[in-house]
Amino acid sequence: MSDSTKLDYLDLDVKDKTFLDTTEMVLNMGPQHPSTHGVLRVILKLDGEKVLGTECIIGYLHRGVEKIGENRTYTMFNPYTDRMDYVAAVSNGLGYCETVEKLLNVEAPARAQYIRVILTELCRISSHQVWLGTHALDIGALTPLFYAFRDREEILKIFEKYCGARLTTHAFRIGGCIYETYEGFEEDVKKFCTFFLPKLDEYEELLTTNRIWVTRTKNVGILKPEDCIALGVTGPVLRASGVKWDLRRAQPYECYKDLDFEIPTGVNGDTYDRYLVRVAEMRQSVRILQQAVDSIPAGPIMAKVPKVIKPPVGEVYHSIEAPKGELGYFIVSDGSTQPYRVRVRPPSFVNLQALDVMVRGMLVADVVAVIGTLDIVLGEVDR
Amino acid sequence: MSLSPLLRKVFLVDLLKGLSVTFNNQSEKERITEQYPLERPVVFERYRGQPRLNVNPDTGESLCIVCNLCALACPEQLIVVKGERNPVTKRKEVVSWTYDLSRCMFCGLCEEACSTDALELTQDYEMALYSRDGMVLDQAALEHGQEPVRYAK
Amino acid sequence: MLDAIKSYLNSGMTPGEYGSQFWATIYIVAITLGVSLSVIAMNWLERKILAHMQIRLGPMRVGPHGLMQPFADALKLLIKEDIIPANADKLVFWTAPVVVTMTAFTTFLVVPFGRTHAVTDMNIGVLFMLGISSLGVLGIIMAGWSSNSHYPLMGSLRSSAQMVSYEIAMGLAIVCAVLMTSLQTGTGTLSMIGIVEAQNAQGYWFIFKFFPLGFIAFMVFAIAMIAETNRAPFDLPEAESELVAGFHTEYSGFRWSLFFLAEYSAMLAVSSIAVTLWLGGWLRPFANTLSGPTWDLAFSLIPGLSFLVMAAGTLLGTIRMPKIVQMRAQAIGLGVFGVLLALVGLVMLLPGVRERVQDIFWFVAKVACFMYLYIWYRGTFPRYRFDQLMKVGWKVLLPMGLGVLILTAVVGLRQELLAAIVGGAR
Repeated sequence: MSDSTKLDYLDLDVKDKTFLDTTEMVLNMGPQHPSTHGVLRVILKLDGEKVLGTECIIGYLHRGVEKIGENRTYTMFNPYTDRMDYVAAVSNGLGYCETVEKLLNVEAPARAQYIRVILTELCRISSHQVWLGTHALDIGALTPLFYAFRDREEILKIFEKYCGARLTTHAFRIGGCIYETYEGFEEDVKKFCTFFLPKLDEYEELLTTNRIWVTRTKNVGILKPEDCIALGVTGPVLRASGVKWDLRRAQPYECYKDLDFEIPTGVNGDTYDRYLVRVAEMRQSVRILQQAVDSIPAGPIMAKVPKVIKPPVGEVYHSIEAPKGELGYFIVSDGSTQPYRVRVRPPSFVNLQALDVMVRGMLVADVVAVIGTLDIVLGEVDR
Repeated sequence: MSLSPLLRKVFLVDLLKGLSVTFNNQSEKERITEQYPLERPVVFERYRGQPRLNVNPDTGESLCIVCNLCALACPEQLIVVKGERNPVTKRKEVVSWTYDLSRCMFCGLCEEACSTDALELTQDYEMALYSRDGMVLDQAALEHGQEPVRYAK
Repeated sequence: MLDAIKSYLNSGMTPGEYGSQFWATIYIVAITLGVSLSVIAMNWLERKILAHMQIRLGPMRVGPHGLMQPFADALKLLIKEDIIPANADKLVFWTAPVVVTMTAFTTFLVVPFGRTHAVTDMNIGVLFMLGISSLGVLGIIMAGWSSNSHYPLMGSLRSSAQMVSYEIAMGLAIVCAVLMTSLQTGTGTLSMIGIVEAQNAQGYWFIFKFFPLGFIAFMVFAIAMIAETNRAPFDLPEAESELVAGFHTEYSGFRWSLFFLAEYSAMLAVSSIAVTLWLGGWLRPFANTLSGPTWDLAFSLIPGLSFLVMAAGTLLGTIRMPKIVQMRAQAIGLGVFGVLLALVGLVMLLPGVRERVQDIFWFVAKVACFMYLYIWYRGTFPRYRFDQLMKVGWKVLLPMGLGVLILTAVVGLRQELLAAIVGGAR
């Protein structure tokens, strides 16, 4: 945790350059705040209502996950990855399993890949639903939260039926999947797709053209594509700024190369575009689901992986397109059963750096909207 | 501005559409609240809940053969199994078997590792206690399973 | 004594005219109790209706279907610890909720529930209401200032700026309605009872007069009144996600409940103004097109029937309660409540009662519609940012109010205007 008394980054001692000599206010949106999506502390330097600068203080949810990784075997570390981005646990597990598989130089069999893709896309929809509900709640619309969680309930039921848990799923294993699809898995997914698309239209009716929503989100928190790339921002935030970069297309993993889907991009890079991009992503996820569920191949679900995993000495970095951006794992192996180093590149952590750039010149009410639109999860930021 | 968007703006069409969505969602068939504890949620077969040591239904003896695989598989090392070899049957029998529920993250690795289907994570999820003392379960508690307090006067 | 009561009820005179402090006192007590009861009912209704819009159930445990929840809330607030911030200005801190509540209740002095059912009939009734509701802003500023903390201060300043700017739009819409009382018939009047009588005399409610002008004036007032009472979508000063709770952050327990009471009373008060000015006050719908003894009879049955319908719904809910022993007390309670509602409905069907209850029922029903709209808006719309809120108030509603006022004057006096132009041209 940084020393919060040293705020020289915010130029607090510099005399105000305007002749009006207004005093600037330092406002602390503390760790306990209804809208900071977890324990995030943001120190705002305000001039009246306008924001001049921000400083984020994180670490309130640091649990030492990477250190834990150094003291667990590869199989044992799998459940810990669920707890980082606890909203989209399946993706975290997928990224980790794929990285270790890359280290071991094995590939999951085709059937396992399809099951993984189906669950990951369901997870993407569920994560975007949480984002939609909480973002709308921050801006003041109380109801989309409950509608989003109702749809999420259906997805979590599928997760529960498949792997036994709703939130901390531990769905995949190194080398494939351990759980075979249950009786009625395909029907459930298809039923969900038909159930979900009209609901998505309902949310759009409630928000997309609503004049209050549009005035609250248009031209708020604009992030130019050059800034995105310079800061390392990935995910829907990057795509809304106009850069068409999606790891599922750029560096295909699993069976995404066999599936047909579009990558929605935005134009202005403001909050409204990020909203449109995420809603469009949900529709594309449904499209992927409908294709994948019809073409799950038969076969084994687990590759030939030794019971005690001892990868060769080496290091590997592998990243996937998590719902929030590029989730990367960097694993250094020293030949033993426990990794030497597990480093996680969380998308929320890197995206959070863009907060300062996006919020300068905006009003206090917009800070909340921008934090919401970045879609951060503090479990991932702090690990 | 062309005519149609202007008319939509003046007549507040977008606001009326939003109002109709919330109005239509008021009907009773949309509500999904489960009134716990009167209506308990139904969990599915693979649910990873309260652990249980299974017992042979015919003979009544524990299925555990003290192979220690579950203790080795657990990321938190919260299973401690002690057994001794029975000279008559030439098989290991359980002396003490403890499971620390307070540190368990219900990952299911122990259930997967068990070679005899002795350890199983059941579908019970009501495990709340008033103090940490009852959280270290011994063999008897694990075999008996759990009896949640029913909602009663 | 009984003769005095009978003679008053049969007199048909307006209250102020009768000049009796006794009756004014009775009405003051009745209105205070009524408004408090309405606020309690609003608490329950808001939680239940908002919950149903959010596909959940709302309070269900405290009393059958949560009917005792407001009482539980009130009790909790009363027994809470009274915290005053360390460096707060104690006298101002103490008086701020009192000021806000007093102004909210004082506006009900001139609200007419019927031709003779009002505390008093001031001949400047509308002006009085507008003035008193503006005083509420003072209470909010006092609350924010005395709390000695910058969240409440920011919230109260924003709130007062918002209320002041929307009062102008409100005032213009009200002037438009007052203007309509004098157009094409008799003299204009600022008295609330007089405005409803003017609607009665002219044969249609002002919302339909000079269509669409009356309707636009009504819409301007409807939007401005939501901003006036700090409700969604204009509730940024109270927005939990941004300023904790705005100007009443530092208030807890009974003081907070006074703010809550004042907010809902203000909602009821401005809704009463809207109903009186545009929706015909206590007049029943279609008073002129569907007139005659049979229609009068039919409409006079509606209050009793509505209570019977509510009773039927309640008894249906009783039957559908889970049939387990723990819910027995609640089921019995709900059944008793249903029976009470049915009895009230039957009493209201009696010939002697139903004429008297007509006016009050229609007035309350119309105000209840407005309350439902308030809750509906809260459940649907996101909230405006503060500068956008001010933009809507000054750049949209104010010109609309001015425009509709001028147009009403022009349309209302079109014969005179035309004659003047033609006469001047000749």
